Amino acid sequence: MRKIDARGSSAFGVVGSGEYDVTQTAEPADRVETPSEGAPGPKAKPLGLILTFVVAFVAIGGVALFFMSQTYTSPNYPNGVQVATSLGTTVVAGKAVPHVALQFATYPDSTGSVGGKQIHPSGNPSWPAYGLTNQWQVPAHSLVTLTIRQYDSGGALNNPFFAKIQGTVGGTATVTSPSGVTKTVTAWDPNNVGHTFTMRGTPGVDPNFFVNVPLPTNANLPNNNNDPDAGQYYTVKFSFMSGSKGTYAWNCEFPCGQMVASFGGVMGAYGFMSGFVHVV
Amino acid sequence: MSFEEQVDEIEANTILGGQPFFSRPAGKIFIIWLAFTIVGVLIGVYAPHHLLPAFRSPEGGDVWATMVFFTVLAAPVAALVYAIAFYSIFAWRHKGADPDVPPPDAEPQRGNGPVTILWLGVSTVLVVVLLFWGITVWSAQQVVHPNALQVNVTGQQWVWTYSYPGTGVETRTLDLPLNRPVQFNITSVDVTHGFWPAALGVQVDANPNVVTVIRTTPNSLGSFTVQCSQLCGLYHAFMNNQGAVVTPTQFAQWLESHGASPTAAANVAGTKNVLTSAVRS
Repeated sequence: MRKIDARGSSAFGVVGSGEYDVTQTAEPADRVETPSEGAPGPKAKPLGLILTFVVAFVAIGGVALFFMSQTYTSPNYPNGVQVATSLGTTVVAGKAVPHVALQFATYPDSTGSVGGKQIHPSGNPSWPAYGLTNQWQVPAHSLVTLTIRQYDSGGALNNPFFAKIQGTVGGTATVTSPSGVTKTVTAWDPNNVGHTFTMRGTPGVDPNFFVNVPLPTNANLPNNNNDPDAGQYYTVKFSFMSGSKGTYAWNCEFPCGQMVASFGGVMGAYGFMSGFVHVV
Repeated sequence: MSFEEQVDEIEANTILGGQPFFSRPAGKIFIIWLAFTIVGVLIGVYAPHHLLPAFRSPEGGDVWATMVFFTVLAAPVAALVYAIAFYSIFAWRHKGADPDVPPPDAEPQRGNGPVTILWLGVSTVLVVVLLFWGITVWSAQQVVHPNALQVNVTGQQWVWTYSYPGTGVETRTLDLPLNRPVQFNITSVDVTHGFWPAALGVQVDANPNVVTVIRTTPNSLGSFTVQCSQLCGLYHAFMNNQGAVVTPTQFAQWLESHGASPTAAANVAGTKNVLTSAVRS
């Protein structure tokens, strides 16, 4: 067996031993002339290579196109989308605009039922929820009057910023206690908040839109979770001007969940204390 | 093929074989490397114009220059790796009759001092240059301005809020006066967030129980977006808001419109002397 000195034949160095066995580079005659049965021969390789690149291109391009085509669409909610009720038109800042109304509630127990519908179909007995749905639809550039029944208890906010009413008409809301006393407020005690209704534009949709209304804590929890509407509640009513068409996100900023800063659990699970407002 | 012909073929196919340079593997790899390098440099020079926002601070300019400089320096290094890989895939692909039988391994290559020195030398120079550049840019942002506007930034799931000490103003929008150094004091009340006003060229994590400081000087009028750069929960994607760089007078008016007294607004906005002078004149 003859050895060939490969020193000087490489750009990056010499062969470790200074030599290699040239006979290893020659194909055995039987392999050259008798390709293994069933295996693609040399002529099939360019096709395989091309196919590999095509598949890779399609896969990479497909993933890229998939991500590029993704625009956020809110998940479906079993209880559907609640469409605001029309109240005709009203004059705001000297201009007649459509006026619509929505009414919903915050419940301490998402497994309860109202009108035969479970508040949250995948509810957890210890998780509060807005209900009966978490998605609402209102017309664009309209006056929207929300009436929220607050059945749940509460406590202190992580940030008193959310105790201030923001983005509503006049910067105010009216709060009616279970005993029937109504007050107009611009803020609420940050240590006695049950939940907040906090709504903002999503990226690309009215980025400056922001509404925040704290809901008072309710010490009179309903005794029967199967009929939460039988309990006592605070009524919080306010109006705001809806923005441009698009999907707006809302959530609660009161730490009513579990774990870190009480923003885990129910706060990290879509649909209980979060949702979307569809402005059409 | 005779034994001598096999030897000739092996030598011709080595990376620095006896053929004309551009017919050898080394020459072909060089051409591919050159093409890839040109593409990389062009990407480094032109891509930031399309990928980065319109910067409104010197720090933003530093970020832009760093992106370009680092990409241009990295281009020939990355191109060399890709060129060798690209050439290897096509030219040195196993063409044996039986694709299931791999070719025998070659002996490992060791002991080329010049190549080792060149490789280590180039790598060292590149890393030192990049380190020096990075430290220089970073140091420039650490300069403390005694007259800097203080802005307390609080991140929480899933809203940024800003307060301006001395004014009583706390907002969800971040307005800043033109050409006034700003010091952001950043924290979080729950999980880790990432404070990222990209157009200002600064970004830092907002950590609970810790106040992190970053500084910038807005030097261009206009709006910008603040985003959260740390995946922070359900509505992380919606944790953004608008900011604006405005004139000092507009800034004072903006503070007043958010509840600051005229005196406090003028003091914090730095327009007190200007207004006083205007009254005197």
